[in-house]
Amino acid sequence: MNALIAVIIGAITVYLAYTGYARRIDRNIIQSDPKRATPATLYMDGVDFMPTNRNILFGYHFKSIAAAGPIVGAIVAASLWGWLPALIWLVLGVSFMGWASDYSAIVLSVRNDGNSLSAVAHRLISPRTRTVLFLFIFFYLLLIAGAFVGIMAQVMDAQPKTHLGIILLVVMGLLLGQMLYRWKIGLLGATVITVGITLLGILLGPLPAIEGLFKGLNEALNAITGGAAIVTYFDPTLAGFKGAEAKIMPSLLFWAIAICLFCYAGSVLPIWRMAQPVVYVGFWITATAMVLGLGGAALGTFIKPEVAQFQIPAFKGWNPQLGPAGIMPLWPMLFVTIACGAISGWHALFGSVGTARQIENEADMLPVGAGAMLAEFLLGLLALLAVSVGTKAASPPGTFANGLGGFISVWGVPVQYAVSLAFAAFIIIVLVVTQLIFRVMKVTLTEWLGDVIPPLRNQHVASFLSVALAILLVLTGTWIYLWQLFGAANQLMAALSLLLVTVWLASVGKDWLYAGLPMIFMYLTTVASILVTAYNLYFNVYQPNLAAGRVIPVAGSGLMVLVAALLVGAALLIAVDGWRAFLKQPRRPAPAPGPAPARG
Amino acid sequence: MAEEKKRGGILRVFKDIVYGMSSHEMTRHAVRSRASMEHLFILITMGDLLGVPILPPYYSLRLLPYVTPQISGWKRRMLRERDITDTLG
Repeated sequence: MNALIAVIIGAITVYLAYTGYARRIDRNIIQSDPKRATPATLYMDGVDFMPTNRNILFGYHFKSIAAAGPIVGAIVAASLWGWLPALIWLVLGVSFMGWASDYSAIVLSVRNDGNSLSAVAHRLISPRTRTVLFLFIFFYLLLIAGAFVGIMAQVMDAQPKTHLGIILLVVMGLLLGQMLYRWKIGLLGATVITVGITLLGILLGPLPAIEGLFKGLNEALNAITGGAAIVTYFDPTLAGFKGAEAKIMPSLLFWAIAICLFCYAGSVLPIWRMAQPVVYVGFWITATAMVLGLGGAALGTFIKPEVAQFQIPAFKGWNPQLGPAGIMPLWPMLFVTIACGAISGWHALFGSVGTARQIENEADMLPVGAGAMLAEFLLGLLALLAVSVGTKAASPPGTFANGLGGFISVWGVPVQYAVSLAFAAFIIIVLVVTQLIFRVMKVTLTEWLGDVIPPLRNQHVASFLSVALAILLVLTGTWIYLWQLFGAANQLMAALSLLLVTVWLASVGKDWLYAGLPMIFMYLTTVASILVTAYNLYFNVYQPNLAAGRVIPVAGSGLMVLVAALLVGAALLIAVDGWRAFLKQPRRPAPAPGPAPARG
Repeated sequence: MAEEKKRGGILRVFKDIVYGMSSHEMTRHAVRSRASMEHLFILITMGDLLGVPILPPYYSLRLLPYVTPQISGWKRRMLRERDITDTLG
């Protein structure tokens, strides 16, 4: 197997899923009508509701949904089960479920006055559903934050060559905000300066003098405790997945805190000052790496065949054992380990409030919703290819960076610099999303508990609490379970959005099977996966650490088991309410298409 | 001629997509910040339109001609139901 064949499979998947399935659903079931007025045109306020060109909206939606999920998920799944199951799930998931979830969430919002999923749930299912959904969303955000901070801290701790680039990214982001909004310098000039300096920092990072400097910083940090660990925990992924004692050193905690401080600043500073400019500079770095990588994957077979050959086994087993008591059955765990790239609830959440309110014409819903999801599938495929061809490294992100670096080197970039660019791209993608998540967590916490606990109305208190909870999850050292719990919450969110779409389709007399069947599959799979993860956490992490009398890993894994129980409880409540609402819908034939309201 | 137009079209599409990925979000935030300030101003000056009298009617009437074009959009935005997920958009 080589990268070219996988790229061809990806291209065929995109073509068939879009033209053979998605377009038919759009034409025959949704019956999108270019003459029907959309909320963006009906309620245009120039702010939230604003008709936008479909190409701009495609780019906006793609950029908003394409984060770390498709990359990290593919890396973890390939290392657990091999590349073949990951590839099959990516292809089938996006073809029959992923695009349907994204597209339908946008349709649901467009056909319901631009309302968010929770507002539609309130109306179509029950008021309780909305409250449960908020609770669900907060824990979902907490899990993403913990998982992303954990993996970034590990990479930063192990890869001193990435530090200069990332530090410069933050500095250049701050500078860009100042240049654009205070000094009123043109966007083009400011972009060239800030992106150029950041890129230079990334490429200079591997130089021995600079790498040695940051390695020295890590060593100095570890010397504070005399080389002793801050937290010792049982890690089921070590020693060839047999499990072994692991340590959290001061340097890892330092990087976790540094990342959280960055996110805290992004959360409390005005958005133009830091969050936006960092995302903007990061976009150009990651876009450069991804475009060069995807092109290199397609051409590598001809130009540099050694970087395009798969190195990892196609299939590693149905149930790789993780630790002494852990289980990792392919079903349901693969389907939550790879979330974005195949199907994702985040896309539905964002699409319903961000993208749907800018849809100018109903005919744009398909290219924007389904098109962006299929493009994200290609990003997930690129991550899978990179980890499949990459020379083995100490961690899956390292293998990914080696693979992507190999693809980038096809264009003549020396491998050392290409790998550095790939590492930086990985960290930047995760970093910008984590920053956004902490911002949303702060608002969620304030809105949710602000009336009951008044101090939470203070943005610093809410941000600090969000950061502290995420750090606690990181300190448990159970990253793999944290990732899978996040994946399950994310997929469950997708199932819940498909449930809403199913009830709505039934309520308007349309055929609901295209959304209902994926919803049933994803619902059962994700609830099962949460139970498996809770089992693993309890027997593989909680009990061994409890026996050893370790407080932090016990508290963290206990919190995660509690979150798992809450997620299952919330999902069951929503399913019961959803089923009742579904049964209430009249069984009636689809109404004949009537005259569409005039576009205004 | 047709090919030239097509090439221009493809370039336009590419530019739009890149703009959408890199800058559209920034534009939306800028527009939102400005709208929030303006809507706060209208709330202070024309609050009685929503039953929130803040400024004496005399001054409201003096300012009315300047805010009239924005009143319908302001009312929709102020009275629209919102929830936590709106912060994502």
